Amino acid sequence: MIRFDSFSKRFGRTCAVESLTLSVGAGEVVALLGPNGSGKTTSLKAAVGLIHPTSGTVAIGDPPRPALEPAARAVVSFLPQKVLFPDSLSGREVVEFYRRLRGVPAERTDAALRFASLNGASERAVGTYSGGMVQRLGLAVVTLPDASVLLLDEPTASLDPDGLCAFYELVEERRAKGKSVLFTSHQLGDVDRLADRFAVLVEGRLVAVMSQGALAERLAERGVMRLRLSGRPSTLLDRLKPLAPDARWAGDELVVPGPASLRPAVLDRVRSEGVEVRGLTAEEGRLDLLYRELVGEER
Amino acid sequence: MTTGSALALCARQELVLAVRSRWTQLFAAVFGVLALTVATSGYILSGGHGVQDFARTAASLVQLVLLLVPVTALLIGVLALAPDRGADELLYSQPVARRTILMGKVLGLLAALVGAEAFGFGAAGVVIFSQSGNEGLGGFLLLQVCAFVLTAVFLALAALIAAGSTGRRTRALALALVTWFVAVVLFDIGILGVASLLRSGPASRLLIVGTLANPVDAVRTAALLGIQGTTAFGPASLSLLRFSHGPMGAGVLLAGSLLLWLVGPLVWAARRLSRADL
Repeated sequence: MIRFDSFSKRFGRTCAVESLTLSVGAGEVVALLGPNGSGKTTSLKAAVGLIHPTSGTVAIGDPPRPALEPAARAVVSFLPQKVLFPDSLSGREVVEFYRRLRGVPAERTDAALRFASLNGASERAVGTYSGGMVQRLGLAVVTLPDASVLLLDEPTASLDPDGLCAFYELVEERRAKGKSVLFTSHQLGDVDRLADRFAVLVEGRLVAVMSQGALAERLAERGVMRLRLSGRPSTLLDRLKPLAPDARWAGDELVVPGPASLRPAVLDRVRSEGVEVRGLTAEEGRLDLLYRELVGEER
Repeated sequence: MTTGSALALCARQELVLAVRSRWTQLFAAVFGVLALTVATSGYILSGGHGVQDFARTAASLVQLVLLLVPVTALLIGVLALAPDRGADELLYSQPVARRTILMGKVLGLLAALVGAEAFGFGAAGVVIFSQSGNEGLGGFLLLQVCAFVLTAVFLALAALIAAGSTGRRTRALALALVTWFVAVVLFDIGILGVASLLRSGPASRLLIVGTLANPVDAVRTAALLGIQGTTAFGPASLSLLRFSHGPMGAGVLLAGSLLLWLVGPLVWAARRLSRADL
């Protein structure tokens, strides 16, 4: 598990993270979202002991140990935001070095290289790799130990669709094994696809933590149904008010905000007014808009 | 994984990287060419012909070693040891103490640079031996040892500079050049300048302190003492010799000074790195 307890970090006068309290349990995948410079990377680096907290604590594992202790890192696999490897080493040499450093059995090297799927480039110098290949190699290093905590900083930033699928499989597999995963991403598709919960940081402060259930609810609330009707009875809005208090006319269209579960009742009420429904479009709430709303509220 | 195995693994990795680095290869080539040039040209310049013997070559090479070795160890050391975002974040996130990784890297670099110097000395040595025999070989070998010690000391200083320069590699490189300039050029000028303003007693004590306080001067004194005895000594070295009651005492003081210059910066670098945000 990962536990931030009132974790704060200042760099000089700049407060990168302010009193972050968040925990990621076993078998849980949590996405850390936020605009650039909101403290996501700082938080992840603190969890792997690369950054010293100004105040508060960051603990890893079960039983929890301070992240700054090398022993705590034995249960962690970390992928930095912009992973780089020495140009003169081959992919295999890189993986082999980290395998030996982690004390992992020799057969894991081939398994990790298969995961990286470097298309036969594992014996080539890393200096000849594309950005996506380097990212895959970084993920391969992450897969070497069967770590109970995965900390991934923008892991999908340079991945192609194949790499993305491999990454999704990796996270699903680790979740199924009861591992804790904390990742940052600007790709809301990753969040929607993988995260059990997501946390939003804005200017170093945690502004929202939401489970997938709560997220689905919030998104449903942001759904909109638009109806083109055969007529525009003056009493219709009043009749709809108990069901959809925010229903309104927008030109010829009746706009009914609210969750999908509300829509059959609204349609029944419209028809009961003797109006024919000639066209209907429904739009579900969008994660990107919700995210912007959450971030915007705090700025 | 034990600390010893992690240290050995990091050292081996750094050695591989350094051996493949163009900087190290260039250093080996330049050092070899310069050593050969000194071996063949010094004699010609003094009116002779052919190749100098080991003793003369060693004496001529002292200045080259004192100029080239510190700057190379500082620059290559800082480039390799300054923690770099992306490259070192992954390494330092492994369950190995930062000081173990740092010491492993320093050992690997030391092995690579010592190898490059051995290549240069070896190339010159083969030519000298084939042309002039083995007279003065001891002094030549002592100079090699001095070069290796100087490399270790300046790598330790590079580690100290690098450990305090996370993500600021350019600044670290600039600081390395300033360190080299102060140690190799400015320090002696300053000490001699101040000593010339003092009376004999205080001036002599200042010169002794100066010799022991600067690793370049300490190595110069030790190398000259080993190669030529006291004949090539300047005022600072002679003051030290008088103070230490002879070559043996001077050797002990010089070795102690160099040991401090080696261990002190390494311990300080490890402490700085362990407190740094990477």
